[in-house]
Amino acid sequence: MLGGLAAAMEQADNSRRAIGGAASILIVAALLALFFGFRNYMPVLHGPRLSVSARHLPYYAFCSFNRMLVAYVLALLFSIAYGMMAARGRIWERVMIPAIDIAQSVPVVGFFPAAVYFFVALAHGSRLGVEMAAVFLIFTSQAWNLALGVFESTRTIPDDSREALEAFGASGWLRFRKLSLPACVPKLVYNSILSWVAGWYFLIACEIITAGPSTYRLPGLGSFLMEAANRGRNGEMLLGLLALLLIIVAMDLVVWQPLSVWAEKFRYEFTSGAEAERSLGMLHAIGLLGPNIYHAVRLVVRPLVVIVQGLFDAIPPLGPRARERVDRIARFAGYAALIAFTAIFIYAIVRGLEALVRALLMPWPREVRQIPAATVASTIRMVVAYAISLGWTLPCALAATNSPRFKRWLSPIAEIVGSMPATALFPVIVVFVIQVTGGMNLASILLILTGMQWYLLFNLLAGVNQIPEELKEFARAYRLGRWATWRKLDVPALVPSIVTGSITAWGGGWNALILSEYFVYRGHTYKVLGLGALLDVATYETGNNLMILLSLLSMVVVVIGLNRFIWRRLYNVATERYRFD
Amino acid sequence: MALLELKQVSKSYPHAKGSLRVLNEMSFGVERGEFVAIVGPSGCGKSTLLRIINGIVAATSGQVLYNGQQVDGINPECAMVFQSFALLPWLSVKANIELGLEARRLPPAERERLTTRYIDKVGLDGFEEAYPRELSGGMRQRVGLARALAVEPAVLLMDEPFSALDALTAIGLREELLDLWQAADSPVKTIIMVTHIIEEAVELADRILVLSTGPGRLVGDIKVELQRPRDRRGESFNNLTDKVFSLIEERA
Repeated sequence: MLGGLAAAMEQADNSRRAIGGAASILIVAALLALFFGFRNYMPVLHGPRLSVSARHLPYYAFCSFNRMLVAYVLALLFSIAYGMMAARGRIWERVMIPAIDIAQSVPVVGFFPAAVYFFVALAHGSRLGVEMAAVFLIFTSQAWNLALGVFESTRTIPDDSREALEAFGASGWLRFRKLSLPACVPKLVYNSILSWVAGWYFLIACEIITAGPSTYRLPGLGSFLMEAANRGRNGEMLLGLLALLLIIVAMDLVVWQPLSVWAEKFRYEFTSGAEAERSLGMLHAIGLLGPNIYHAVRLVVRPLVVIVQGLFDAIPPLGPRARERVDRIARFAGYAALIAFTAIFIYAIVRGLEALVRALLMPWPREVRQIPAATVASTIRMVVAYAISLGWTLPCALAATNSPRFKRWLSPIAEIVGSMPATALFPVIVVFVIQVTGGMNLASILLILTGMQWYLLFNLLAGVNQIPEELKEFARAYRLGRWATWRKLDVPALVPSIVTGSITAWGGGWNALILSEYFVYRGHTYKVLGLGALLDVATYETGNNLMILLSLLSMVVVVIGLNRFIWRRLYNVATERYRFD
Repeated sequence: MALLELKQVSKSYPHAKGSLRVLNEMSFGVERGEFVAIVGPSGCGKSTLLRIINGIVAATSGQVLYNGQQVDGINPECAMVFQSFALLPWLSVKANIELGLEARRLPPAERERLTTRYIDKVGLDGFEEAYPRELSGGMRQRVGLARALAVEPAVLLMDEPFSALDALTAIGLREELLDLWQAADSPVKTIIMVTHIIEEAVELADRILVLSTGPGRLVGDIKVELQRPRDRRGESFNNLTDKVFSLIEERA
């Protein structure tokens, strides 16, 4: 009887998952089709010729950094507004959090050509459109994780803190400044670091795409590296990589390290010294430089902050009557914005579905028949790359549980190597593998690997830090031995980290896949059978809209299917059984 | 000869500026069959001291002797009960208790016998297949206690075993601990317990060692000669409590 009930519930769960999945796929499909509707406006753009000389490198680095900064500021503003709104109540949460889930499941790299059409049309055919598309792409790689961070921190503000402020009659702005925003700081800083890593990855990716076979160009580090590889200029390629490394290390020292230290004081929970050890710091020796530069920057920025603060304070305080009116207007404006947004969204979906139907009614190209085989081939490549990733990161994590020395040594190295965008290494890897083996299959798996492995490693190392000290002491005091400790304590304790790491690793892997199955090097195109290759061929060679749409959609179907039916389920089991409380 | 003897045990931890000394030249002995409580303010290194006795933490200098022999590494005659229980959430009550026996490579039949025996002793019958998450704090610490008793150690080490529990649960569990210890068939004769609750030490122990803070030093060694069962509201009980209090306050 009970078994029957459980089976029925499982059935209901499955059909709900299937319906939810189908709905998400439909929404993504509609939006994609909508974007492609702008393709007809696409003029042929000729960007600046890229020169591969060390003299121009600073300019290219500046261009890349600029794109990152613009996208990040937009993502930050968006995430604060979005996350806080989603935390307002159950209804908001029900709609806004699954929306992020869907957004996260789209392989952003595949979306780039579509985004270019849209933004170039928006910018009336000027090159600014390509820039906007790049910023949009980076934005989508940064915003979701930041918004989730804001949402989680806002949700976990202790009730008594909230009530204390309410008891003092603190108004909206004061509450935002003194309570909501500070509560988000630790997560925002930590997720910003991750967002920048992801952002660099996609920035370089879209610059590489534009430097490839297409007709629009973005000057930047990625296109510089690609051009250097294409012309066989190894010295310049190395210089480009060095410049990138320099920017990343400098960012860590000047911005992220001081910010991480500063963010610690906004934490609600008080953790022991073990946490401090897990600083995101890179090399300690160079680390001494960081605070000095930080203080210099602070010296300049501080007066500006004081002036702005003074301006705000100069506004005379409102009476209760006036304040009520301001509140009412603000609330009204909020609802108006929400209704407008919903209307635009529904309109976009309707138009998108219309475009989708129109696209599907066009004659289907012959390559469509390759899609099933390509999907299988790509999935196999993903599985192989995933197996290799797990095959080396899990032993590393287990070794780290055994020896704090190994962990202290591994973490900073992994941080430096892992924060280098692997896409910057793509030209190097492909050129090397093609020269050695002459084929693309191995290169393709290697490239997917670079997009997967670090997510797993970082999640696992974070998991190692979360194993309670007393349990480790128990294992030693009762002389469990290495093997039993791994089997009974460490591996089960790492299960949640393995699952969350795998989810992000697969997300990263799908993006890498698009760049990894098709590569143009010295006028010769290297490709393998796969969804990514089909997509790229359709984008760069045949220009068939429907093919782009169908291969992207097949990918989205696989991603959403795996997420709903494998990862989500594993995640539920992992968080139910294998958590500490 | 004392069962356990500490000779000039010191412990320092590396610190940003040089090293931080948490224990300074501790020397004392513990007799067979004694119930010793170690009390002191937080940060006096009493938990570290317990870990040095067990061998989980190595002393910076000094010696730990067991039966006159120097112990290096884990002392297999000791078993520890932890403050926050240290149970594996993914193992059932039974599997948690059995884990300590598995580590000693006992044959399955023997493991089964000991597990059943101590599940019964601590009053966990009927909860064998439950998971720690499904139990109350008091029940969880019973699992921790059973796990330690099942290996039938000569010395039971307890690190603030009742401080994560509510007061009423703690009172009940303390009485049960005394019953278990005083029972004729108890394999455990010697107990060393760390606590910051002075009443708890006076209620349970034969002897109280008082530690001062920064770095931890031995400032008092008091025999408790009250008849058991002890009346927590009696005059002599209160006098003894006051005496320990004043010892701690003087040095703080």
